[in-house]
Amino acid sequence: MRVVPVPSLLRSLVSVSRREFLVGSALGAVWMAAAVACREAGNGSDHEASPHSLPPDAPPPPRTLQVLSPEQFTELEAVAARIIPSDGSPGAREAGVVWFIDFALTSFAADQAGVLTEGLVQLQKDVAALHPGHRTFASLTDAQQDALLTRMESTEFFGSMRFATIAGMFALPKYGGNANYIGWELIGQEHVFEFTPPFGWYDHPDNQQALLGRVL
Amino acid sequence: MPQSLPVSTRTFPTDTPVDFVVIGSGPAGSSVARELTRNGFNVVMLEQGRAFGPEELEHDEVGAFFTERWTNSSQSQPQTYRLTEADKAVQRPYVGYAKAVGGTSFHFTGNYWRFRPIDFNEYSVKGGVQGAALADWPITYDELEPYYAAVEWAIGVSGKANAAPGEPRFSREYPLPPLNVTGPGVLLTHGCDKLGWSSKPAPMAILSREYNGRQPCHNCGFCLGFPCEWGAKSGANYTMVPEAIRSDRCELRTECTVRKIETNAAGRVTGVIYFDKDKREVVQQAKAVVLCANGAESPRLLLMSKSNRFPNGLANSSGMVGKHFMFNGAALTRGEFEHEVNGHRGPVVSRISHHHYELDPSLGFIGGGGFDFRFDVPAILQALSMPRTGPQWGSAFKARLKPWFTHSLLSYAHTTSLPVATNSVSLDPDLRDAWGLPALRTTFKEHEHDMRMYRHFQSLGRELLTAAGALRMHDDPINEEPGFTVHLLGTCRMGNDPNTSVVDKYHRAHDVPNLFVVDGSSFVTSGRGQPTLTIQALAFRAADHMGQAARKNEI
Repeated sequence: MRVVPVPSLLRSLVSVSRREFLVGSALGAVWMAAAVACREAGNGSDHEASPHSLPPDAPPPPRTLQVLSPEQFTELEAVAARIIPSDGSPGAREAGVVWFIDFALTSFAADQAGVLTEGLVQLQKDVAALHPGHRTFASLTDAQQDALLTRMESTEFFGSMRFATIAGMFALPKYGGNANYIGWELIGQEHVFEFTPPFGWYDHPDNQQALLGRVL
Repeated sequence: MPQSLPVSTRTFPTDTPVDFVVIGSGPAGSSVARELTRNGFNVVMLEQGRAFGPEELEHDEVGAFFTERWTNSSQSQPQTYRLTEADKAVQRPYVGYAKAVGGTSFHFTGNYWRFRPIDFNEYSVKGGVQGAALADWPITYDELEPYYAAVEWAIGVSGKANAAPGEPRFSREYPLPPLNVTGPGVLLTHGCDKLGWSSKPAPMAILSREYNGRQPCHNCGFCLGFPCEWGAKSGANYTMVPEAIRSDRCELRTECTVRKIETNAAGRVTGVIYFDKDKREVVQQAKAVVLCANGAESPRLLLMSKSNRFPNGLANSSGMVGKHFMFNGAALTRGEFEHEVNGHRGPVVSRISHHHYELDPSLGFIGGGGFDFRFDVPAILQALSMPRTGPQWGSAFKARLKPWFTHSLLSYAHTTSLPVATNSVSLDPDLRDAWGLPALRTTFKEHEHDMRMYRHFQSLGRELLTAAGALRMHDDPINEEPGFTVHLLGTCRMGNDPNTSVVDKYHRAHDVPNLFVVDGSSFVTSGRGQPTLTIQALAFRAADHMGQAARKNEI
């Protein structure tokens, strides 16, 4: 995975993303590297200029597994649910992060299938070795799951799952995750195309007056 | 929602020389095309990207930053990078730009700083630096000033002239008042006030009011990396390109990848060879060619256009094509605040400080910079930028996500970077792109002077954040190579001496009378940041002189 930055985004952002994806080095240029199919350009169409004429986002893909098996889905969902848990507010599970992963594996992240499925095989080996009688990660308690993931924080599999969980929480629903924009709701990013000031506390005129002695 | 790009109604035959072929539809190429068509010349404008329709303008962070939806492709256009000429270059994306009609202004932030007089003559005023190829520009601020004003009024720039000490001369006020101030803008101003630093409204290529039939900014917050769904950003795709097309003298051909500028035995350009979208080779004849492909692709195309007469690449008798690759320097620190900043709403930048445009001479630095406070990326990238101290996953990580999104901002110092002869764009000897052309190779290592200056700016940024009341601060690392870059400058520098520069003061190649190179590659020095307005002002000026010369039959 790599970021394609843009004017004045420059250095820091890229260093962040590089660091992130070097955790799972196969992610470099691979996760989401091939462009998803874009709809054809609408040259010549004549849209009314109106604040309310923005087209809705594309709908999410159907929830039918394309790449992962049901067992793999359950296991990866258990991992994602420890990265962003459902602890009183929606988490990776409710956002449908693994639907995002399955969709990504059919398209822009097809080359990542091996990292996830092989990582999962290793994870289940660790489960069996540490917890006799258990075969799946999902069957462990939260504390047992966290202990296992802590051991594997520096693996490519975990790095890939951490990235995919974050991306699946916040990518547009058309990619399969962020169901009903609950990821955005969690952090305060709105699915809105216009705002009117004040945008936050500091630009409220009263607070500008208090901070600056004037209103900008 | 803005209307779609108009479709060219005019077509020109390939086997008859058109007045001008313009390579690139970005801020430079489209500005040249707009000016030439207004002066009665016919133009074929070639763009390697495509047009994007209004229904494609989503708040799609995955498309914008991860799947290269409208940027150059690491798959079909692989690149290599090396730190120094002694190193073996490795395959790695290094140079980024938007690959779309309108070029990088399709998805820019719209920071539209003018340069100041010192940016054009800093070498003679302050002297050189060992290991750097500092030089004065062959033009002055006063020569460029009318074109700055013309661009600002042509596209719609919002701001306030003379709002702080040290401003350059403005012959005209900005056409539009400043954009809404945002939380980061208030905090920048608060910090500056406390430190006694000047600050002012940011000049932005975003409409604060309706202008030329285009809607004003709706404060959606998705500027950097995104096309504007309202058409309020004054990028070339909403301004210069449609105006050029509506002139009925410009044919825009998209998804065309130029592989060579052709010359004849007399050393004149005769046209260009390009691949159309089906990868069929097309030869377009031209009376003159204007190369505006950006600071990386323009020198690459010149180097690919070698011939018996021009064995080192076209317009390269000086050996300067591709040399002096500059970006803009940067120093970043993230700050967390007590109350909601909500920087994701409103324009990315609303206030700036140019208090450190020139640094105290006792510090011993050439150059300087400016600050903004901003919040410039959406949820995925913001989550990924979480400080590495503290929990990285689990409930405690989840609890950090919202305040990191709503209560933090980025202090961004934009600075000069020195021209260094060994920092370059060149052709990779081994790797080829999907058209079979040599891949772009970047060689780049920061000058030691600049590393020290960036650290100085980072400490100033911490001072500013502290004064603004930041509770916690997190520096981004400063490395000897930036990792990836987007301001592409200096690689076909302009100058009066054909031995040390590629183009003359009117952007005409010293070696080839009917070839012009106009874009970030023309820069002799980097400026303090935000090069696009200067690129467009240079393009207006160059086109003015091209038209005059063409009418006098002097091309």
